[in-house]
Parts: sequence; structure tokens; C-alpha cells
Amino acid sequence: MTFYINEEQMEDYLFKIVLIGDSAVGKSNLLARFARDEFYSNSKSTIGVEFQTQKIDIEGKEIKAQIWDTAGQERFRAVTSAYYRGAVGALLVYDISRRQTFDSIGRWLNELHTHSDMNVVTILVGNKSDLKDAREVSTAEGKVLAEAQGLFFMETSALDSSNVSAAFQTVVKEIYNILSRKVILVQEHKKQDTSWMENGKTIVLQGETNHEADSRTWRAKCCSS
Amino acid sequence: MFGTQSRREISHEFQPSMQYWKPSIHTRRANIVVKFQDLYGFTVEGNVDDVNVLNEVREKVRQQGRVWWALEASKGANWYLQPQISSISESVASLKLSSVANSIVLKRLIRKGIPPILRPKVWLSVSGAVKKRSTVPESYYNDLISAVEGKTTPATRQIDHDLPRTFPGHPWLDTPEGHASLRRVLVGYSFRDSHVGYCQGLNYVAAMLLLVMKTEEDAFWMLAVLLENVLVNDCYTPNLSGCHVEQRVFQDMLAKKCPRIAAHLEDMEFDVSLVATEWFLCLFSKSLPSETTMRVWDVLFYEGAKVLFHVALAIFRVKEEELLMTSQIGDIISILQRTTHHLYDPDDLLTVAFDKLGSMTTNAITKERKKQEPAVMAELDQRLRRLNSIKVDDESPSVSPVAPR
Repeated sequence: MTFYINEEQMEDYLFKIVLIGDSAVGKSNLLARFARDEFYSNSKSTIGVEFQTQKIDIEGKEIKAQIWDTAGQERFRAVTSAYYRGAVGALLVYDISRRQTFDSIGRWLNELHTHSDMNVVTILVGNKSDLKDAREVSTAEGKVLAEAQGLFFMETSALDSSNVSAAFQTVVKEIYNILSRKVILVQEHKKQDTSWMENGKTIVLQGETNHEADSRTWRAKCCSS
Repeated sequence: MFGTQSRREISHEFQPSMQYWKPSIHTRRANIVVKFQDLYGFTVEGNVDDVNVLNEVREKVRQQGRVWWALEASKGANWYLQPQISSISESVASLKLSSVANSIVLKRLIRKGIPPILRPKVWLSVSGAVKKRSTVPESYYNDLISAVEGKTTPATRQIDHDLPRTFPGHPWLDTPEGHASLRRVLVGYSFRDSHVGYCQGLNYVAAMLLLVMKTEEDAFWMLAVLLENVLVNDCYTPNLSGCHVEQRVFQDMLAKKCPRIAAHLEDMEFDVSLVATEWFLCLFSKSLPSETTMRVWDVLFYEGAKVLFHVALAIFRVKEEELLMTSQIGDIISILQRTTHHLYDPDDLLTVAFDKLGSMTTNAITKERKKQEPAVMAELDQRLRRLNSIKVDDESPSVSPVAPR
């Protein structure tokens, strides 16, 4: 099912965005920094699901992003199909000071793609950029992987705040842009099907068949840090 | 052996505080959020009402203590301990009779709460941990700990990540000594059952066990009896299959015991695993206030894993009306999280759990688990196959960082 929305309705909608990545890469702290401007050198390890709703201003419009956070240990990946449901954006996080967390990115991408459609706006996030002396993954490597997979890319530090808002905003803005394009589409197909209006409030992004070919291209942008 | 022997003696000084927390003049105003320590040393942030509730709970704990002492006076010390084979002496028949009578009294008593000071002894006995320990040499724990010292495995690496992230800020758990104790218990267990290894969530369980049991060794045996006897099999194994089974059984029970909520959740496509995964893996220790968690565990160790269902259903039940008003999945999660965090009075929860939901027999639950198992295994299997098929389709294995097209 494909939902279209018009511009006036955009503000009432929630963009569900999921944080994924190995344990202890800083998912919860990225969320804490973004939503409450807080950072805890030790915060409780997440087991179930936590989320925060944050208002974001995009082109003068207030958009609500609901950001979900969960456990990172490998065995939890199979518990999370409900976690991904309805997500339109994802932050795929690794820790630049631990190569192993970068090596897992492929598996997380597979996980994301089995649970949601290919159009989830995804940004690859190399977190803990403040740990300069302990760096194990270069910025260039992150960029190359992001380009190969058609993901946005940014290096962040939840500790010193750098790029945290920018990473979330990149995802939200792109979702917004895709929806704006759909608004134009829906105006062309006006009144063909209005049943979508009564549908649930969560946005579902789905590529149209005729747009499938370039769906990878529009995500293959790269924001350097 | 001297080194390991001394380790066995390690018992932390942390004592449940029975002092009343007295709000100062400034905090007597409503809506002022105050920070204070609860019975087990956890920092609680709440308003004056919460403080009052916690003071009432402290008083109830004292009263319940008096009930236990009175029974000790009439029935003799240790009357509640499970009879050991070796202790059966004169008449087997009379012993059986008295033990049946005792078990009825004990069940009622345990549902009302075990005094914190008696918890180590009662838990070890009623859970079967004493029996389990008696099957191995006395030096088992110390031998295990010295044998695994200095070894690194994926389990130990994950444990090391989680030590400072387990109840951060707790006055004993979040100290070098607390971390070291927790580490030994978790690492020791990860070698005892290398199939389980370490699963996130066990850190919270083991930490609470350390606070209650006072010695690492007792905490270790409680952890062992939990995973090996009390809980459903494979709860913490690498595919968490047991945990998945419990979620499905819970979903089914919710439909039977709280049909209105279940129907509403189904309409909203709300999956109970979003909240219940944490409940079943941390045994509520990450969700409920400490004394409420301990009261749940009192019953868990005596009556078995069905208790988790009672409690989980009760949490939904106490917020039934509010949950029926929701229209977004996020609101359901928020309501349930807020509710669990504020259940300071254990009786508010346990009265619903055990008196208002009707009975659930362990047999019925076992049957339901058997029914759900094949579907869970098929689902997990299907998931693996789906993941593998993606890997095959994907020409550039995405684990490789350099994959130009």
C-alpha cells in the first residue's frame, strides 16, 4: 500500500526513525544528545525499546520525528521485527574506535532490508569522532562504504555534540523531500483514491514501480563531516 | 588457592536501608521532584507522594518481618526451608503432612513478601539452588573463577562493555568492587554454560542478585538455578528462542485474560514484544522499582516462571482504560513504561497479578509453550534463510568496506 499525504497534513505526521548498530556504539547517547542535549558517560544498556519524540523544523515546517532505540547485541536482532515496522528512516551507527562495529554494518543493512522496504532513508553514522587517538576506521572508509551502499554518511560525537543534530536532520529532511515529491504526484492523480486520508498516522514510504530504477540514486548522496 | 579462597569471602557491605526518608520543608510542596535512595540504594526521582508511598512500603516490610518472626517462634527457625532428603528422620508420613500444611502457609506468606534479611536463605532454598549446589564439590565456584581468569571471549568482551552500564550511579554496584563482583559472576556463568555465554539483560539480573544475596557465590547459584530450572529453556541462548516463545504465550494469555486490551492492540498492530522483551529478559529489574522487583522475584523463585505472566498481565490490566484510549503505538509504550517505573507499592501490582486475573496453572502454560514452539522455530529459521538469500543476491558483500560498483 502506498500512502500519499498533502502538505497541510505533513505536520500531523510522525516520522519513525530507528537507531541500529552494535552494542555500545553510542546509540542511546546520540538520542539523548539530540532529544534532550544530554550525555551520560555511562547510561544503562538498552534492552527493550526506548524512544523519544522530537520536533524538527524543516523549511519552516514543524516535523515530528519519533526516534527508536534498542539493544545492539547480535542475539537481539531476531526480536526486533516490530521495532522496524513503519520506520521511514534509519541511523546505522558504528564506533570509529572499534573496527568490529564497522565490520558489522553489512549485517545490519541486511537486517534493515529484511524488515523494511529498500526506501528507508538511511545514514551511516561513525560515532565517537572525539576519540581521535583511538580511531580504527578512517573517514574515507566510512565514505566509501556509504557511497557503495547508497547511504548518507556523517561522523558524529554524542560527547561533544558535533554533527549529532545534522545527522538526524539529514534523514528527516530527505524523508520530507521524498514526501514533497509525492505531494506533487498526488496532485497529478487527484481524487483517484482518497481512502489513504483515513489511514493511520504513521507514514509509509514506498517507491513507485516507475521510480524504482532511480530510488538508489537519490539516496546515494554523501554529506561529508 | 589462597587467592581464590579470599575471593569467596568477598561480600559487600551494602545493607538495605530501613531508614525513613524525611522530606524537608522545601520538598513538602507538591510537584517538587526530589531525589532519594530506596531500600536497595537506587536513586529514585519522585514527588512527595512517591516518597510517602515508599515510606509506607518500608513500614509494610517491617510488619511483614514481624509476621515471619512470629511464625519462626511458633514453628521453629528454618521451618520454611525445603526438606532435604538427608533430614528425613523418624516418620515420613508426618513429615509429609506438616510439609503440605507448611507449603500452603508459605505460599501465602511469600506472596506477601519475604523480609529482605531472610531473602538470601529463603531464595536459595525454595528455588532449588541449595540442591543444585550440593551436587558439585564445595570449591566449584572458586575453581571456576580461577580457571577462567584472564580469558577473553565474545561474552567477556560484551560483559566488560556492560559493567559500567548496569545501574550506573548505584552506591555499591557502580564501584570498582561492584564491577569486579558482577564481572566474576557473569563471566563464571558464561563459561558454565558456553551456549548461553552472556546475554544482555543478565547483567541487571545478576546485579540485583548480588545486592540481595550478599555473596558472589550465592548470587552465582541463584543465576544458575534461574536459567537452568526456574525459567523456560533457551531464554538467553543466541537466538533467544525461549524468550520468543514466552512472548507468544503471553500474547495468547492477554487475549484470554484481557480481551478488550488485546483486541485494541491488535487493531493497532502493536506487538507485545516491544515492551515484554525487557520484562522477560531482565525479569522486571530494569522496569519496576527495586522492592517491587524483589517481591516479584520472591514469588518467581517459589512458584516458577508462570509468575512472569501474572505480573506482565497485571501491568496491562492496571492501565486498561488508559490503554484503550491510545491511538499510537508510541503512547502504549510510554504508558507502560511510566506505569512500571512508578509502581512503588508492590501490593498495588501483586494484588492484581494474583487475585484479579484468575488462576493460570503451570501445566496449561507448558502446554501453550509446546503449541507455540514450532511456529517460533519456523519463524527464526525463515529469518535466517531470508538473511542468507540477501547475502547471496548482494554481489558486493557489504561487510567489505571497499565495494565500488
